Amino acid sequence: MTGWRQFMAILRKDLIRELRTREMIISMILFVLLAMVIFHYAFGVKEDVDLTYFTGGMLWVTFIFAMLLGLNRSFAQEQDERCLDGLLLCPVDRVTIFFAKTAGNLIFLLIIQVVAVPVFTLFFVHRGYGSDIVLFVVVLLLADVGICALGTLLATISMNTRSRDLLLPIIFLPLIVPLLIAATAATTTIFATGASFGVLGTRLLFLLGFDAVFMVAAYGTYDFAIGE
Amino acid sequence: MPLEIEVEGLRKTFGRREVLKGLSFGLERGGFLSIFGPNGAGKTTTLRVLATLLTPGAGKVCVAGHDVREDAMPVRRTIGLISHNPMLYLDLTAQENLRFYGDMYGVEDRDARIDELLDRLELSHRRYDVVRTYSKGMRQRLAIARAILHRPRVLLLDEPHSGLDPRAVDILDGLLAEIRDEHTFVMVTHNIAKGLEWGSQLMIIENGRIAYEHAAGVDPDAFVAVYREHVQEGSVL
Repeated sequence: MTGWRQFMAILRKDLIRELRTREMIISMILFVLLAMVIFHYAFGVKEDVDLTYFTGGMLWVTFIFAMLLGLNRSFAQEQDERCLDGLLLCPVDRVTIFFAKTAGNLIFLLIIQVVAVPVFTLFFVHRGYGSDIVLFVVVLLLADVGICALGTLLATISMNTRSRDLLLPIIFLPLIVPLLIAATAATTTIFATGASFGVLGTRLLFLLGFDAVFMVAAYGTYDFAIGE
Repeated sequence: MPLEIEVEGLRKTFGRREVLKGLSFGLERGGFLSIFGPNGAGKTTTLRVLATLLTPGAGKVCVAGHDVREDAMPVRRTIGLISHNPMLYLDLTAQENLRFYGDMYGVEDRDARIDELLDRLELSHRRYDVVRTYSKGMRQRLAIARAILHRPRVLLLDEPHSGLDPRAVDILDGLLAEIRDEHTFVMVTHNIAKGLEWGSQLMIIENGRIAYEHAAGVDPDAFVAVYREHVQEGSVL
């Protein structure tokens, strides 16, 4: 019960702060929308070019880079006025901090996607995928959990380093590649031809496995990651 | 009287630099230890080890009977830390900050306790304002509320008077006087007058070692002379 109360306290604190300042959300939304406009002009110069097979890649690359922006900011606030010390002084299991921070980042990423996906669909997807919307949401959720779990763990590790803005992308991007491949393939299939749970089963299982691996990794290492 | 704080052969190394070189001391329950020393002597590192923010490299450190390395959780419930960094979220209000910490410490009577502390620290009228709009003195008062919200037995003070105006110093000292009998204190300070005024035990740390230890009641001039021997920089009197 105490762990749940602490989880909710950290999550509520992060949400209140973000709703008040909108630092993270605004910068992520702007980045995503600008990236789409740039993709539109960069790849859509010839009207007869079918971009459908690039859509998954464009979408996930954009989300991953947007998340990088957010991850840096999500821990920057903990370093203002040494708030991280205040948090670490509390009798809280360090894994609770990880899950609360991951949940916060997940909520922010989902908000970005609620805004970005319709715009993206308007720009790049020429086939209606209404019948596959549940499948698409499952892909989004599984990939988002992996991005946020890995991102939160690595942002924690890099936050105490002098060059954290540089270090985080350097360690995050190579590790996120397997998830990027699976999420891109699944999304492109949905946008291009439509799919079913059966067709995408392997991809979905891979995403689930990725999420599980980094959740377990964080469970085992977070005490060390957030410590001195 | 049982020892509330027990430190035995404490060593701490950062990279190749040994910051603490075998500190040993004890503090009885209800005692007030004032720690002095030049910058970089290891005072704050000692305090951060007691607060479980740093792990001891070697040696044994117990707070309220719990080992800080093996049994950190009960230690964290027992201590409160007041530092010159207030550890408050600037974009949250005073009330939101205290509610957050109240939930983190599992304070049962959270809202009543917050009301009591905000009244006591003369911050009730600003409870719904974000902390970013507070003066340094107000932030420090709120930091005191944060630190004692969960009724800790041991209070660790890291330069608590640093950067405060005289009014804020008076309020801080008034509050310390009020809660003096309820807590055990360890205070790191450059302010000799305050350290001597409050301390029941005095200590000077120099280069990671205890250079001087004395019970309270020492003649201030004699102490200043000893202090100057160990501290090259100008002291604050």
